[in-house]
Amino acid sequence: MGREKEKEKPSEKALNLLRSRLSDPNFIFRPLSDSPDSNYSKLKFIISTSVTEACNNSILLLGPRGSGKVAVLELVLSDLLQQYPEAISVIRLNGLLHSDDNCALKEIARQLCMEHQLLFSKVASFDDNSQFMIAMLRECGLAHKTIIFVLDEFDFFAQGKQRLLYSLLDAMQSVNSQAVVIGVSCRLDVDQLLEKRVRSRFSHRKLLFLSPSKEDTERFMEHILSLPMDSSLPHNYAAEFNGRLKKILSDERFKELIDTYLSFNFTIGHLVRFLFQAVSYMDLNAGFLSLGNFKTALSSNQRQLKLESIRDCSVLELYMMVCMKRLEVKEQTSYNFYSVMTEYKSIHDSFQTSDYYAANVCLRAFEHLLQCQLISFIDNKGHNQSVEFRPVKLLISSAELHLGLKSYQQCPAILLKLMDR
Amino acid sequence: MPTETPRKQFQSPKKPKQSPNNVKSQSSTPSIHLSPQTPQLPLRRSSRRSLQLFTSKTVDEMLDLSTPRKALEALDGIGKCSGNNRKGSSVRTPRTLKCKFNEEDREIPEMGKVGEGNGEVSPEALESKKRKNGLSEEGSVKMGKSPKCKLNEDLGKLGEGNGDVVSPEKRKKGLRNEESVKTRKSLRCKLSEEEMEIPDLGKLGDATFFPVSPQALESKKRKKGGEKRAVTRAMATRSLKKVNKEEKKGRKRVYYKKVVYDGGEFEVGDDVYVKRREDASSDDEVPEMEECRVCFKVGKGVMIECDDCLGGFHLKCLTPPLKEVPDGDWVCGFCQARKLGKDVEFPKPPEGKKRVRTLREKLLASDLWAARIESLWKEVDGSYWFRGRWYIIPEETASGRQPHNLKRELYRTNDFADIEMESIIRQCDVMSPKEYAKANDQGDDVFLCEYEYDIQWHSFKRLAEIDNDEDGECANGDEDWNSCKEDDSDTDEDMEYEEENERNAHARPSTTHQLAANSRKGRFFGIQKVGTKMIPEHVRCHKQTELERAKATLLLATLPKSLPCRNKEMEEITTFVKGAICDDQCLGRCLYIHGVPGTGKTMSVLAVMRNIKSEVDAGSIRPYCFVEVNGLKLAAPENIYTVIYEALTGHRVSWKKALQLLNERFSDGKKIAKGDDRPCILLIDELDLLVTRNQSVLYNILDWPTKPHSKLIVIGIANTMDLPEKLLPRISSRMGIQRLCFGPYNYQQLQEIISSRLKGIDAFEKQAVEFASRKVAAISGDARRALEICRRAAEIADYNMKNQISSVNSSTVKDVVTMADVDAAIQEMFQAPHVQVMKSCSKLSKIFLTAMVYELYKTGMGETTFEKLAMTCSCLCTSNGEAFPGWDTLLKVGCKLGECRIILCEAGDRHRVQKLQLNFPSDDVAFALKDSKDLPWLAKYL
Repeated sequence: MGREKEKEKPSEKALNLLRSRLSDPNFIFRPLSDSPDSNYSKLKFIISTSVTEACNNSILLLGPRGSGKVAVLELVLSDLLQQYPEAISVIRLNGLLHSDDNCALKEIARQLCMEHQLLFSKVASFDDNSQFMIAMLRECGLAHKTIIFVLDEFDFFAQGKQRLLYSLLDAMQSVNSQAVVIGVSCRLDVDQLLEKRVRSRFSHRKLLFLSPSKEDTERFMEHILSLPMDSSLPHNYAAEFNGRLKKILSDERFKELIDTYLSFNFTIGHLVRFLFQAVSYMDLNAGFLSLGNFKTALSSNQRQLKLESIRDCSVLELYMMVCMKRLEVKEQTSYNFYSVMTEYKSIHDSFQTSDYYAANVCLRAFEHLLQCQLISFIDNKGHNQSVEFRPVKLLISSAELHLGLKSYQQCPAILLKLMDR
Repeated sequence: MPTETPRKQFQSPKKPKQSPNNVKSQSSTPSIHLSPQTPQLPLRRSSRRSLQLFTSKTVDEMLDLSTPRKALEALDGIGKCSGNNRKGSSVRTPRTLKCKFNEEDREIPEMGKVGEGNGEVSPEALESKKRKNGLSEEGSVKMGKSPKCKLNEDLGKLGEGNGDVVSPEKRKKGLRNEESVKTRKSLRCKLSEEEMEIPDLGKLGDATFFPVSPQALESKKRKKGGEKRAVTRAMATRSLKKVNKEEKKGRKRVYYKKVVYDGGEFEVGDDVYVKRREDASSDDEVPEMEECRVCFKVGKGVMIECDDCLGGFHLKCLTPPLKEVPDGDWVCGFCQARKLGKDVEFPKPPEGKKRVRTLREKLLASDLWAARIESLWKEVDGSYWFRGRWYIIPEETASGRQPHNLKRELYRTNDFADIEMESIIRQCDVMSPKEYAKANDQGDDVFLCEYEYDIQWHSFKRLAEIDNDEDGECANGDEDWNSCKEDDSDTDEDMEYEEENERNAHARPSTTHQLAANSRKGRFFGIQKVGTKMIPEHVRCHKQTELERAKATLLLATLPKSLPCRNKEMEEITTFVKGAICDDQCLGRCLYIHGVPGTGKTMSVLAVMRNIKSEVDAGSIRPYCFVEVNGLKLAAPENIYTVIYEALTGHRVSWKKALQLLNERFSDGKKIAKGDDRPCILLIDELDLLVTRNQSVLYNILDWPTKPHSKLIVIGIANTMDLPEKLLPRISSRMGIQRLCFGPYNYQQLQEIISSRLKGIDAFEKQAVEFASRKVAAISGDARRALEICRRAAEIADYNMKNQISSVNSSTVKDVVTMADVDAAIQEMFQAPHVQVMKSCSKLSKIFLTAMVYELYKTGMGETTFEKLAMTCSCLCTSNGEAFPGWDTLLKVGCKLGECRIILCEAGDRHRVQKLQLNFPSDDVAFALKDSKDLPWLAKYL
């Protein structure tokens, strides 16, 4: 018993360690940031020069979601805050929260006040806040302080008149200020969204965040998953863990598995999530990662949700869907509950199926399909109409439906026939 | 004269120190003979009297013009007893002072009395002084020091100081000293009387004295100094109040712009040495010239200054002797040796002679103070005072001297004090870094001041390069001061008083309730807190490379010295504005300027306005007012009325009220305030933002200039050429007459703009600049873009260089911006990054995109649905041996591509009927995916 406990302990520890690593962006992105070609060092260079050389800059960080834009930015900011503890103040805005110019400016004023221990007034007007911001930019410029504006979801700021961006960028080109505007967005065409006078003032530095190459991915996985040899973990255990891990990593099957995963989720964020899942499947009794863990993680990622929801449907619901499909084949594009019912009746009449239910039962099935989002209303009009009169459409393709029927165990044979005809 | 070559960027070529012959007579030290003085009260007492004597005499002399010789003789008498060096100057003083004197001065004691002896002063005068001093003394009471001990201290000091004084002055000083003792004694009882009445004042003082100041002041010595200053500052306000009360009785202070005092001319804005305490320095005679550190003579030979210890050396005294002053930094042998770790002693002065310290040395050793004169006035009793803004040396700040502080660096504080003119020693020169770098041989009293130091928050802030606002105020006030009209000064002083209050309120946060920083009421309240605790090292110790200089000068924010390529347009604007202003009728006019962004519209107008303003200052053009509004910075178009009205009058009202008032002013010709009859130029940037639904705002603004007496000139700036045509005809008829078009720059112009900025900096290949300008001219002709491209290119070059240096220790890289760098910058700026993203995206995304291109090509349609696409996808996959991932996965992939806007798609819950569209030309997709390594078969379908 005692032995088992001892044995359990390191594996639990190892699991915790791996999990905490995987949820710590610092640990994930640090090793990728050494080389001069990395976005980390480029971004750091741009920001630190604008701190030391007292200039204004505006940068866009672009890349698909999960490619580590914000994580790298945070890494850079935390490093620079350590390097120049007093000279930087960071203002963070998010386009989803502050897309309205007025509230964005208010938030800027609030954060500036917080940063410099000033009293903030909620009722200040747009003009007051923008003047305050410009005055602060100037004062901070005089005091050798750089204000870094991080505008997450930058595309939302590029809506409407773009007063915020205009006044920010205009202040940066006229006042004796020292500021960096960093826009973060997953839209690649975000600079096209800017109005022309705003675009002219924007300095168009772009950093593109791409997914890592294959070699990088491998290196990265080894870096994350292997246990440190000099920690509180027993030395033997760590050594064996790493040995097994190496074997897994070099396994062809594993490589294939990762490839399949990466073929649809290619960013580093997704990879980390996948690894987290796989690690969580680790068998604590055995205490080591196995190929099986990764397989389970992959299969849980590859679920076909529509098919699964077909599997959950009742036979009547299947009938209804098949009816709709038949209607579509007849090129009847718009149909509602009653037209589906007519089709259902005609099927029953011609094939004398055993599954014939009353209209109110069918309506219940119809409503359930709506809830599962296997079918939906065509438009949002006619909310006051009752459900059965509103036109609907099938959200699942015939191929999928066919697959679903095949995998459905108690599927009446007649349905498959009906599908084909 | 000695020069200093400051380190690093402030380098200036060294100039020989000049012989003392060249020293201006002005810099002679006029007030050496006076008894010990600090700006504090006990000293003030005595010093004021001497001034009084002096002035009374001069007045009498003026009145008694019939016997000029007598007066001169009498003057000589004083001069003799006060030391010879005083003589010349004192004779001169009365004459210059003459014009500025006021009638009030007549009540000054008569000459006879004065002549009799300096010791006796009319009792009333003393009384009044005592009152004042008593009042101010309370300041120190509140600070926890009993007045007695303070007095004793001061007495002690005085005594010490006098012990060292040299003979000719002795008698007088002795006398004065005795007397001051007397005064103090009497004061003491006076004080005790007064103490009773003041508790409330005391409280006030308490509250104001120790605000929530972050820390106590540092070292003991400094503490003392700081507190003393605080006293003076408190006094400043209090005495002012006093005076104001007196004013109401009919007495007034008279403010001057320039005062000739004791042979020196002092102007508002001058920097002066102020006496601190005499006891510390036994050397009373201040040398005009620095002595050589080796031979201790002031000889005529050329001297050189060490950049480290600031010591002066004769060229011939050095070992080995130098023939001429070398270029660049020069460090004396002693400092060099010290740096090498040796123990060095400077040569000792010959027996009996003490090394005389110059004022500069004393200041830097904090035995003196320096202050900037903010205002000058004559007190009711005829004494001259000035309001000084202290300078402090780095050692006195909270952070102490930092290694990268320059030797001659001073900080301007936000600490003010009213100081008597008597305590001024002479002028010094405190310069901004730019001036300082240029200052070659301006003497020993040259200092550098780049920062302002907040004494409460112990923080530094760079001085704004242009103190435009303050200067403007001063300029306005000047006229009144020059004319010296007494009746005018009433209002002026009230204003001044208000200002003062404001300033004080500004300086000390009131403990009771703070105003929010961002609200209008407490506009930027507390914003002065913003500052660095230390001056960052990188600002000073960093030597700029060519590339960095290039980057700095290419910044959009830096204002270039010249504005090339827009001469014609600027001329046109100038003639327009001048024509409008100089016209007697000043018939309102309107100019519409249009052009694409970045073609210098606003810049040109502002440059023209600057030029015209300088002409106004020179006096060739009538004054006007200039209001600048930016349409995009207004919360709503209607707010423009508020902004204009505020700019014109300084009052803020709601826009409806403002509209009414502006209508009154411009349409009905009602001129309320003084300056209302000036022509007014209104610059509206981004005019198109003011267009409302019924266009009333634009109509109102453009209607005013047509009114006969409006004297309003409107300059509107916008991007669109046909804005007037888009508006209602009644507006376009008012605006569209005079137009000016700013065409996009062509490549030669862009090249000129860039190279004019880069003049003298060898960081760009010539073709690189041309390439950038050609590229930008072809795309937009936007100067901002061109500048940004070049800056980015310089940044890239800098980045590459720094990386290479850090990786390989060879500096083979030329630090020049090449074509490749510019090309990289252009790529970054103009090329959408989608090709790169497509190249690096996942396998399925690639298949997805290919299927999409294929599908669209096949159907010839612009868009497709997900169902069709999925079918195509599965076809492609099965025919090429890929596993089809399933519909749901495919949908996810599509949505991710949609997120990046590589394709445009509807929300994912539409599933089968989701509409899809390519956001980029299909050629781009083909280009990106043609040679992908993992999926070579894609090329078939593209």
